[in-house]
Amino acid sequence: MTAFPALLLPLPVAIPLVVCAVILTTAHLLPGRLPDILAIGAAVSVAVLCAVIARYAAQGPIVYWFGGWEPHDGVYLGIGFSVDEASGWIAAFIGMLYALTFVFAWGFFDRTHGHFHILMLLFLAAMVGFSFTRDMFNLFVWFEVMSVAAFALTAYHLAESSLAGAINFTVVNSLAGFLMLGGIGLIYAQAGTLDFEGIAAAVARGGRDPVVAGAFCLVAAALMIKGAIVPFQFWLADAHAVAPSPVSVIFSGSMVSLGLFGLAKVSAVVFAGSAQVQQALPILLIGLGSFTALLGGWMALLQRHLKRMLAFSTISHAGIMLAGIGALTAGGTGGMLVYVVGHGLVKGALFMIAGILLATQASIDEIALRGLGRGIWPAGIAMALAGLLLSGLPLGALDQGTRLVQGALSQQGHGIALAATAVGAALTGAAVLRAAGRIFLGLGPDPGDEAGAPSEDEREKANRPLWLMLAPCCALLALDVAIPPELIAHALPRAAAAFMHQPAAGALVEGPAWLPWASVAAGLAGAGYGLFRNRLPKIVVQPVSATQSAPTRALEFLHSGLIGDYAAWLAVGVAGIAAVLAMV
Amino acid sequence: MSVLPYAVAAWLFGVGLYGIATSRNFIHLVGCLGVCQSATYVLLLGLGYRWGSIAPIFYDHPPGTPAVDPVMQALVLTDIVVGATLTALLLVLTVQAHKRGGSLDPEKLRPMRAGRKSGRSQDTSRGDEAARGAR
Repeated sequence: MTAFPALLLPLPVAIPLVVCAVILTTAHLLPGRLPDILAIGAAVSVAVLCAVIARYAAQGPIVYWFGGWEPHDGVYLGIGFSVDEASGWIAAFIGMLYALTFVFAWGFFDRTHGHFHILMLLFLAAMVGFSFTRDMFNLFVWFEVMSVAAFALTAYHLAESSLAGAINFTVVNSLAGFLMLGGIGLIYAQAGTLDFEGIAAAVARGGRDPVVAGAFCLVAAALMIKGAIVPFQFWLADAHAVAPSPVSVIFSGSMVSLGLFGLAKVSAVVFAGSAQVQQALPILLIGLGSFTALLGGWMALLQRHLKRMLAFSTISHAGIMLAGIGALTAGGTGGMLVYVVGHGLVKGALFMIAGILLATQASIDEIALRGLGRGIWPAGIAMALAGLLLSGLPLGALDQGTRLVQGALSQQGHGIALAATAVGAALTGAAVLRAAGRIFLGLGPDPGDEAGAPSEDEREKANRPLWLMLAPCCALLALDVAIPPELIAHALPRAAAAFMHQPAAGALVEGPAWLPWASVAAGLAGAGYGLFRNRLPKIVVQPVSATQSAPTRALEFLHSGLIGDYAAWLAVGVAGIAAVLAMV
Repeated sequence: MSVLPYAVAAWLFGVGLYGIATSRNFIHLVGCLGVCQSATYVLLLGLGYRWGSIAPIFYDHPPGTPAVDPVMQALVLTDIVVGATLTALLLVLTVQAHKRGGSLDPEKLRPMRAGRKSGRSQDTSRGDEAARGAR
């Protein structure tokens, strides 16, 4: 018989699916705002249930077998959910993010017939299922449900650029799905089961095996595509920039990091017994992660389309998370888990501010918006705070995650990766702070003719009160700052060890205390340089512009927006992962 | 299992990816994506195949007769469903993109690029218009 806490496990997936079906069947009958209320209720109940599950899971992972198909004598026939403390809290965080996003999106769409809410609830159910499952194929199914809901939500406006962005997103992520399925087929052929524990046991028995390495290569590539790691990152900037703002909040806040969460789980649990994979992981993850952090940060600095800037900032932070996983210690993985939550809160708030600007000022272009934000100065304060937090201000969950990741990296002597995490954070913080200074304080040179944006004339629905949009944004930032660090520091060693199926570790090491301050200072300096470049003496400006123009143009050229180029880079990336696996 | 299914699957995936990388028409591109997906069908069916066995249906066979792996066949069925969903969704997006941009060429439909004509006039879409389109 299944005992009490285990019975809760299917509910956070079932509730959004049921509410989604109810809204779908009764959409034409429901009065005005009822779908909003139903959706908020469903998201809140998911968050509360997941938090309860996480509390129970502190004593040990909770397992639920669907239909009572429990394993016998090491033979796994059923499909199960298995929730450790960390997975439970991540799911609770996702539910909470959805609830606040639904509040933000209140009245965002006129006459939607609930389509937006249906897709979002489907998306939520898939994310919770993805973090709970202990079955490889089930993981793939949630991965695909997540993708399909995301594709439809990206194209929701059916405008020209959102369609192009959605097509790029769909093609690249479909390829990711195919790779993942191929990898699952290979690992099943070798292990004869799809259960995480069953596969782990078979992998540990098998020794060095090209089929296992091939399976890992395909699954890891698929999850890195979802996690927007270089060279798979191209789709993200196209999709996040054109999706409706509430959808971008979810994309950047949870979907991307969930891909990396999946990668952390799969490499720590399923492939723990393969020495070949475990040897390749640090090289692959720390190398790609550092590179991604720098490239994303640099690209963010080059953007004037606010949402595209935030999208590149997400790429940069995904790189930092990946480097954390690559440390392969409880500190690195635990830091990454805290980072997922902190980054989701801050980045969600920033996308909400971008949505507020789109709604109230009818533009998303940093240059065109210069000085126009003065009338909505509370949003400016929130944006500046979020920018400082992104660049590493030592406050709140994002900072704690950063310091744990940096601690794990410095403990293992990865100096370059350590520097990359600080520089990446400083670059994205500089981009956001520069935009905040320009929009809300009117700093920087008068644009003149430059004001015409290269992007389209965009606008989101304007007749919502400012406080309604600002309240969830401030709630996200307040949560990031208010999560007590002692609580995390106390629970994390145990939770990270349970997440990685390892014996509990001692207290986790934090990185050098001066590093976050250094990256905040660098972020402020970068923002100041961007705003006051024309007032600085030539001797400072000239060397910078001389050295950065060629690589900058090369980067802009690479981000071509052409799906063909993205497919080619995808092939390069998969080949690269395979080469690293073959060489160790 | 012989090496042939692996080789065929790798070939199909490579050819499909080459098609996507060089495609100048979205409909053609959706077809190429289908080719990539058939690589997964071949791989999964090849992995589950057992020589000299029956299909995993025991209606007119005694239980215990050697059969091919039914799990793989279930995976392929799910894969086909996923493929149908993706193809349908992509074709819808393509039709809508053609309606708005007047072209099926990825080069002419780049997101967020300067120098595209008709960007401004076409895109006044807001929530209400999206709702009309979504119906």
